Amino acid sequence: MPEQPTREIFLHLDPWMQGVFYAAAAIASAVFLYGFWKRWKKYRSGRKENRFDRLGQRVARAAVAILTNSTVRRGETFGGIAHGLILWGFIVLFIGTCIVAFDHDFLRFFGVKLLKGDFYLGFSLALDVFGVLFLAGLVMMIVRRAVLRPPALDYARADAQGGKVDRSGFVTDDMIFVWLLLVIGVTGYAVEGLRIAQTMPDFERWSPVGYALAGTVNGLAADTLFDAHLWSWWIHGIAVFGFIAYIPFSKMMHIFTDAANLVFTNEGAARALPPPPEGSVGYATVADFTWKELLDFDACTKCGRCHVSCPANAAGTTLSPRDVILDLRTFANDALGTPELLKQRFRAGSKWPASANGDVDVAADVIRPETLWSCTTCMACMEQCPVGIEHLTSIVQLRRRLVDRGKLDDNLQGALMSLGDYGNSFGQSPKKRAKWTKGLSFKVKDARKEPVELLWFVGDFASYDPRIQDLSRQVAEVFHAAGVDFGILYDAERNAGNDVRRVGEEGLFEMLAEENAKALGDAEFQEIVTTDPHTLNALRNEYPALGVEHPTHHYTGVLAKLIADGKLDLSRKLGHRVTYHDPCYLARYNGEVDAPREVMRALGLDLVDMPRCGVNTFCCGAGGGRIWMDTSNEVKRTSEQRIEEALALGGVRYFVTACPKDYTMYSDAVKTLGKEADIEVKDLIELVAEALGEPS
Amino acid sequence: MNIVVPIKLVPDLVEELEINDEETDLDRDFLSFRINEFCDHALEEALSLKEAHGGTVAVIAIEREETDKVLYTALAKGADRAVKVTGVDEAASSHEAAKAMCQVIGGMEYDLVLTGVQAADDRDGQMGVLIASYLDLPHVSVVSDVEVKGDLIAVHKEYAGGVMAAFEVAPKAVLGIQAARQTPRYAPVSRVRQIMKEAELEEVEAEDGGVTSGSTVRRMYTPEKGEGAEMLDGSAEEVAEKIAAILNERKG
Repeated sequence: MPEQPTREIFLHLDPWMQGVFYAAAAIASAVFLYGFWKRWKKYRSGRKENRFDRLGQRVARAAVAILTNSTVRRGETFGGIAHGLILWGFIVLFIGTCIVAFDHDFLRFFGVKLLKGDFYLGFSLALDVFGVLFLAGLVMMIVRRAVLRPPALDYARADAQGGKVDRSGFVTDDMIFVWLLLVIGVTGYAVEGLRIAQTMPDFERWSPVGYALAGTVNGLAADTLFDAHLWSWWIHGIAVFGFIAYIPFSKMMHIFTDAANLVFTNEGAARALPPPPEGSVGYATVADFTWKELLDFDACTKCGRCHVSCPANAAGTTLSPRDVILDLRTFANDALGTPELLKQRFRAGSKWPASANGDVDVAADVIRPETLWSCTTCMACMEQCPVGIEHLTSIVQLRRRLVDRGKLDDNLQGALMSLGDYGNSFGQSPKKRAKWTKGLSFKVKDARKEPVELLWFVGDFASYDPRIQDLSRQVAEVFHAAGVDFGILYDAERNAGNDVRRVGEEGLFEMLAEENAKALGDAEFQEIVTTDPHTLNALRNEYPALGVEHPTHHYTGVLAKLIADGKLDLSRKLGHRVTYHDPCYLARYNGEVDAPREVMRALGLDLVDMPRCGVNTFCCGAGGGRIWMDTSNEVKRTSEQRIEEALALGGVRYFVTACPKDYTMYSDAVKTLGKEADIEVKDLIELVAEALGEPS
Repeated sequence: MNIVVPIKLVPDLVEELEINDEETDLDRDFLSFRINEFCDHALEEALSLKEAHGGTVAVIAIEREETDKVLYTALAKGADRAVKVTGVDEAASSHEAAKAMCQVIGGMEYDLVLTGVQAADDRDGQMGVLIASYLDLPHVSVVSDVEVKGDLIAVHKEYAGGVMAAFEVAPKAVLGIQAARQTPRYAPVSRVRQIMKEAELEEVEAEDGGVTSGSTVRRMYTPEKGEGAEMLDGSAEEVAEKIAAILNERKG
């Protein structure tokens, strides 16, 4: 009868050694539980917020994201593969270890043994194969950090802080993480190889790596093998216990925090912002942060995707979404006494966080006003984040504090005062809001006086900016020609408040929204259309919380439908080579990337996309109230970077936009760059009008 | 340091101004009002002084449709008291307005009265001067850089031609503020709305002060357009010749 395939768990270990082993396990577990409990306490201290709705769905969504590694893979092939290998290697090895423990420490007392026979052989094979994948992933990670060095992994701060901040601890923490896992993996094979080498049983060919290793050393003396096995066993064991104990004090904790964060994150949390805390206007102290926000700060693995995709960072301002999250983490840990071993340290001479007690104003001392004001709220950070961090909600809550404390620049203050007094940021009379309709071939219906199918919520720029007014008239003429039954609110319309809210002027947002709600209530219509993606976002995503809910469309969607329904005669094909800039608030906030492209196809345009397109689009720099602010802290405007990106495509005649702010920003950028002869900014409606117009 | 800030409301230029049929005044049927920019600076300076030296700030404004909003905004910014003066005609002169304000200021405890240096809606621009004379107080106008020096107030006054003078004045005094030390602060809407719910404006009915303006308007009109300019093209010599020709022709 052939030998029964199995192995002895504590081979060569005297009973006292086994005792030491269990004692070490107990100590490691105790340290782990202590650290875990400290974290738990930290989140428990956060402000209440209900993120337990649709819990089953949330867990399923997170499980799929984690097990398929989808969010990590996205846009990062090499790192994504490496993470996937480590993730799955870890999962299988962890399950294997659990089976060993269950078999040895539980079933054994009932005279049952799982790890024998065919099960043992399958077990051995699975663990050996996934062990190799695990090690391959770790080696890839080390190569990525030591050789490839992608810009995202440069931990330098966006605000240099004159070398006051030492982040070398981050690098050390990263290295401990990968190298410790590597040591665990390698010593695991060593233990296996040395064990097999002593007897070389045939069935151990099912542990291919271990068997091959054994083959290289089985010529050594028996007691050498015995000692080597024992030593490697202990090194392996100590490394594992070290790992377990170290988890809650290091980046390794991301295993838990990120899994939790993926469960509790709200998709598109920035589309409809949370209200300020009860009885307060914004965030000032650590107690203002919700438990989910505290979890956000801990979920960050510093992967840097937000950092490299952030337009404010690209423009050279002091804002990096990663810095914001990591600074808030350090601040929260200091203020709440949560241990974190290798964190960023503030060298002597730095004010923050010298006193992480109540007298620190987060929106000034921790995250500087200039940094908070640099955000365009384009949501690239949240789109890119693989672990569901909601950077924007924290930033806006902190901005609310700045507004309340009057820490805003004069330009922005002027715009807000105009919005408060006149309902528009142009400082013009509300009575002149519909003046752009003069010169149309027909009279636009007043939706307050007669019912219309489509209510056109025009927005500030489309109403008041002379350059955009012309575009508005073209939209009106195209709608009219297509037989669309539409009307506007005339002087009852106010700025929709999307960017007012993102500036942090919550009271003004409420006031504008209330006035608009009243105007909308007085009008009779089926659905809403707007040319402004910011307005679209407010009406579609923010207003429902105020009880104002109407189906709201972007004009590109309406145009696509008119074309599909054959209401527009586009037999004349244009044929220009163009590129299209996806507006942040259309593509990223509202996922609408197809309709404008359908229209362009129907127009016969040769559309070439820029590298950053669709939901990964780049920001023009105007959002979140930036268009009202002094933006002189931008070293290189993102709008200019974007035009250069379009020029690099070669031979593109038109830079097509579908957002009034984009049109303004990019027209300026083309002029600043002196590229008027090479590229021209066009709103989609101009091309539609060109296709419909008489051949010239 | 207790400070009183009499605030003027002036026609909002966001709407086009029209002149009445008699051509003696603006057509007041469609006017909307807002805080006079210089009064906003006076308020800011008062609030800055309060923050630096303690004390209170009281604001006073004559009733218009927008007065409540202006006064609540001042309270939201940090003023302690707000008084609305009723019963003053919209077309009242600076003299009448100043007299009405003084009826309120006279009953207050204060060290300084800060007014805006001027306003867009009157002919004499002497609100501060008039208040000082009615209250029989020293007055410095076109003031910036207000500084408390012991018992005295040190100020800078600007004269024509960029000449600056330094004054020291003993309270009580009236200062016509040209520019506050910083941009007038922003009042977040939520604070203004909160104040509207919590605070109440004091109301005082003005008595007839028995004063009249020293001047009357004969005719008010928008600047009349000239016939336009003739542009002269060509080299310097050619242009010079053309100019000489024109001068000769019109010499008469």
